[in-house]
Amino acid sequence: MGEYKLLLEHSHDPAYATLAGYQAKGGYAALKKALGMERQAIIDEVKASGLRGRGGAGFPTWIKWNGIPKDKKGKHYLICNADEGEPGTFKDKQLMETTPFLLIEGMTIAGFATQGDAGYIYIRGEFVDAAKALRKAIDEAYAAGLLGKNILGSGYDFDLYIHLGAGSYECGEESALMSSLMGERGMPRLKFPHVPLPTISGVWDRPTVINNVETYTCAPFIINNGGNWYASLGASTKNSRGTKIFSVSGHVNKPGNYEIEFGTSLMDLLEMAGGMKGGALKACVPGGSSVPIMNAQQCDGAIIGYEEMAEAGSMVGSGGCMFLNEHTCIVTFIWRTAQFYANESCGKCTPCREGTKWLLQIMERIRSGGGRSGDIELLQEVCSQIDGRSFCGLGDAAAWPVAGAIKVFRDEFEYFIEHGRSIVQSAESARMLPESPVVAVS
Amino acid sequence: MAAVASETVNLVINDVEIAVPKGELIVESVKRLGLEIPIFCYHPRMKPVGMCRMCLVEVGFKQPDGSVRKMPKPQAACTLPAQDNMVIFTDTEMVHRDRKGVLEFLLINHPLDCPICDRGGECPLQNNTLFYGPSTSRFIEVKRHAHKAFPLSKYVTLDLERCIQCGRCVRFTEEISGDSELAFRFRGASMQPSTFELRDFTSKFSGNVIEICPVGALTNREYRFRARPWDLETKPSICLECSNGCATWFDYRVNRLVRVNGRTNEAINEEWTCDRGKFGHEHYNADNRLTVPLIRRGDRLEECDWPTAYAAILSAFGVGGDKVAMLAGSSLSNEGAYLLNRLFHRKFGSANVDYRRTAHTLPPDEAAGNAPTAIADLELKPSILVFGNSPADDIPIIFLRIRKAWFKHGARVVVAHHGETEADSFADVVLRYAPGTDADLAKGLVAARANDAAGVAQAAAACGVDESRIREAAALLGENTAIVTTDSLLNSASGADAFRALRQLGGELNRYALGANDQGFADLGLVPGPDGRGTAAILAGCADGSIESLWLAGADPFAFGDRATVEKALEQVGFVVYQGTHKSEAMGFASVVLPMAEPAEGDGTYVNAERRLQELRAVLSPPGEAKAAWRIGAELALRVGMAKPYFGAKDVAAEIFTQVPAFRGVAFGDRLN
Ligand SMILES: Cc1cc2nc3c(=O)[nH]c(=O)nc-3n(C[C@H](O)[C@H](O)[C@H](O)COP(=O)(O)O)c2cc1C
Ligand code: SF4
Ligand code: SF4
Ligand code: FES
Repeated sequence: MGEYKLLLEHSHDPAYATLAGYQAKGGYAALKKALGMERQAIIDEVKASGLRGRGGAGFPTWIKWNGIPKDKKGKHYLICNADEGEPGTFKDKQLMETTPFLLIEGMTIAGFATQGDAGYIYIRGEFVDAAKALRKAIDEAYAAGLLGKNILGSGYDFDLYIHLGAGSYECGEESALMSSLMGERGMPRLKFPHVPLPTISGVWDRPTVINNVETYTCAPFIINNGGNWYASLGASTKNSRGTKIFSVSGHVNKPGNYEIEFGTSLMDLLEMAGGMKGGALKACVPGGSSVPIMNAQQCDGAIIGYEEMAEAGSMVGSGGCMFLNEHTCIVTFIWRTAQFYANESCGKCTPCREGTKWLLQIMERIRSGGGRSGDIELLQEVCSQIDGRSFCGLGDAAAWPVAGAIKVFRDEFEYFIEHGRSIVQSAESARMLPESPVVAVS
Repeated sequence: MAAVASETVNLVINDVEIAVPKGELIVESVKRLGLEIPIFCYHPRMKPVGMCRMCLVEVGFKQPDGSVRKMPKPQAACTLPAQDNMVIFTDTEMVHRDRKGVLEFLLINHPLDCPICDRGGECPLQNNTLFYGPSTSRFIEVKRHAHKAFPLSKYVTLDLERCIQCGRCVRFTEEISGDSELAFRFRGASMQPSTFELRDFTSKFSGNVIEICPVGALTNREYRFRARPWDLETKPSICLECSNGCATWFDYRVNRLVRVNGRTNEAINEEWTCDRGKFGHEHYNADNRLTVPLIRRGDRLEECDWPTAYAAILSAFGVGGDKVAMLAGSSLSNEGAYLLNRLFHRKFGSANVDYRRTAHTLPPDEAAGNAPTAIADLELKPSILVFGNSPADDIPIIFLRIRKAWFKHGARVVVAHHGETEADSFADVVLRYAPGTDADLAKGLVAARANDAAGVAQAAAACGVDESRIREAAALLGENTAIVTTDSLLNSASGADAFRALRQLGGELNRYALGANDQGFADLGLVPGPDGRGTAAILAGCADGSIESLWLAGADPFAFGDRATVEKALEQVGFVVYQGTHKSEAMGFASVVLPMAEPAEGDGTYVNAERRLQELRAVLSPPGEAKAAWRIGAELALRVGMAKPYFGAKDVAAEIFTQVPAFRGVAFGDRLN
């Protein structure tokens, strides 16, 4: 199977980022249609579409929308998670830069369906271009009566705001994002069943829907063509419907964002990206740096779908798909990943704060030739003491890549520990090594 | 803690079924079965945060078919509210493994300098490690290194290597003291509590963070390295640094007070102390303590024995009547005050006794019944008017309750004061009036409640507060309002008028005393009778020669009176008894000096600002020949043949309980009639 361009169909066309260009391609038909529908009917379409959150966890979107109280007692909020911090992922950036109106229209539809008063797009601080594109688009939408008071004469009011993050991966975690949005330190908050769900008490203690950029962007297509039509995409998979954008990077000839229908094979995705560069496929991290790494055999025959990828030993995640060639030293790759998580831990909970640093220290020691027998077991133990014990998902996300790599590439770890150097000794491999630690261990 | 849960739910904890209030935190529920879950970050008086992960338990839910479905991940018991059909496991292999895991993590970057740590021996980290931790560590990397002794403030030192980032200190300043002076900076393993831009930690309640820190990261700069917990003996005490009367622990070693910690008393201080209470007891150990009686010979004060001192005093005060007078200091016990008061009234035939230090006073009938609202009840008031004082400075523990009423129960707070106060930060309305216009503003509030527009306008013009503000404030007040004033209102010339006006507002009007036992003196009647002189008149009488002998019973007039007036009075008066704990300027004028014990060096009872009667049993023995106030009074009484001997303060107390109406039938810990 090849690319299936739904969200990205017009992303090459600069005019699509203007209101006129967007409308010329049928933009805002969905909102018009939605404003004439019963609110519940919109949610039912989303339910029929089988849309699952594209931010990483794959949670059914309709359940969130449906969870917002129907009997409205105060403000309802929508948040778009545009923090896109997961290493390897860069799809939201392109969506916001090239198809900002899809996101705005999608959020307005979601807002209408959930009686939302205002939406906040929380954008990763470095994404200045995306923020600029959205700013322009939002201004245009306001001027055209597509945001603000009495949208398209429907009587529905909806405001949309942009908020730029300040540079923390953790602020992509939904509850930490809300803390940050409210001006607090970017630390996660308690979750259900400890406190009510965000759909009951989210940002500013009000009912809140939070979805990823790509998730909202699907809404106009679902409304235009119907949930059933959307669900016909990916019908070959167990429970993954529609399309998914993969940000393909690593040792491929044509890195970039590729939109595929669920059910496409991982090798087809590699094909789309121009195949491997500089050597044969050795490993793939298919869904962003936190998902378990796969070896070439696992990749072969893997089908892209939430359940299907789990069967193949990894996850769809956020769609940050990294292909690594045979010259890649997995130990070094995991060391670099561990650096990222140790640096991004917010510090709130013990397992992640202490554990991510310890993992990094052990990896650092192994990589500099000081590995000891027992280190592999120690790494596994530390991972298991973090996984499922941390306050939020960052701890899990830090543990999985290490534990996953040991499972699949144990021989590389053993070799490194025994010989004090990598099993991969090609000239190409040497060129790939970073000169010094990218983030100092403090 | 006060909320009574209406609904209960059924839990199973380690196979035992138990009904608990719905929503109760599991960490609390397990205590009902005598179980304990180890904790670090959880503190029952603050919002649970689930940071440290020490309290992880396994949780399941009973299914309709009777089976139990466990949640895939362990859950923090400190944040988990009890729900029907919840099944809790605190004793599984997974739980034990998780506890070991968290403790191993906490210890990898902990310096383990227990042998020199103040907290060693009373350290939750040590205790939890002993009971639940691994016996060894697998950590062979380099530990985190950071400041070992960062001076956060003049009282508190921060050891960043020992900190386990539990957030208790940060949350205390956010939730309890409300000054938000501490916050975390940096992230991940570098995260550390800090003040903003490393400025001084100036909270008036900073000492509490030392006690709630679960490790030795926050230490008391006065106590640091001075003792180990096992070197100390400890006894319950009450704090007499102000009128709030907080419960404290006095830790001492060979009769020297070493440190003061908060003790739980739900009625007063919950478990907190203010910094004055925690760090203000150095005077117990001061070098200028008085230890022997002294008598004037020429221009020298020479040591003498007690009988000589007593004899000189009784002969000087023998003139009696209007020619003698007494000023009482605020930390005299009820017993000491009662006996001296009786000596003056009955033996010397003098009504010239007073304890009040304010520039103005209220007539006795208006002064009575001045603290209707118990401190703990402030918490549940829907609205509170703070009038004419800065509670964080004057009545710190009452300030914490007012803040809690707002923070926890949403009380609406109005603050009226001529200066800035800490309470402004959470007040709905702040009324900043021109100094001296207290009465105008009070009348304005009354007018606003009566919809008297002219009255409001007149008041606004006089006190410089916007009319709309006065109306806004008045709208928040009503019959359920607690009005909080203190004796400091009476330092303003219009204070008495303000007080009268406030009475018309409705609600409970409080005029809390400021000195430790001032309220006790008021209830004992340690005030001039109809033909007696008050503080100002006594000083004037000394100066003009109409008073010949003056007794300073723990009072230091230089501390409150106008300097020139006091100097003149003490120079002119013929005979001065200085009954005190320390050498002071006033002592220089003394004819006889009686060394007195500090409150915790003798038995005694005290009445706090809300009229709660408290008993303090001697913790330390007095230095040298110093005596407790009751004993001085009792020995004098015996000498003048007034009484059968008293064998202890409790004999005097028993007499107070029968003789003084306000004390009749009151048990320790209760409020006076
Ligand atoms: C540490 C961490 C970082 C995350 N970062 C992002 C992010 O950058 N963007 C995002 O959309 N979701 C991120 N998530 C997932 C969000 O918490 C949340 O699941 C998502 O915003 C929900 O939207 P969706 O249902 O549309 O996927 C992150 C989660 C964790 C635990
Ligand atoms: S797992 Fe813990 S320390 Fe890590 S980011 Fe989440 S809350 Fe912060
Ligand atoms: S200093 Fe103490 S109370 Fe504060 S965060 Fe560290 S361990 Fe907790
Ligand atoms: S005590 Fe529960 S997480 Fe700290």
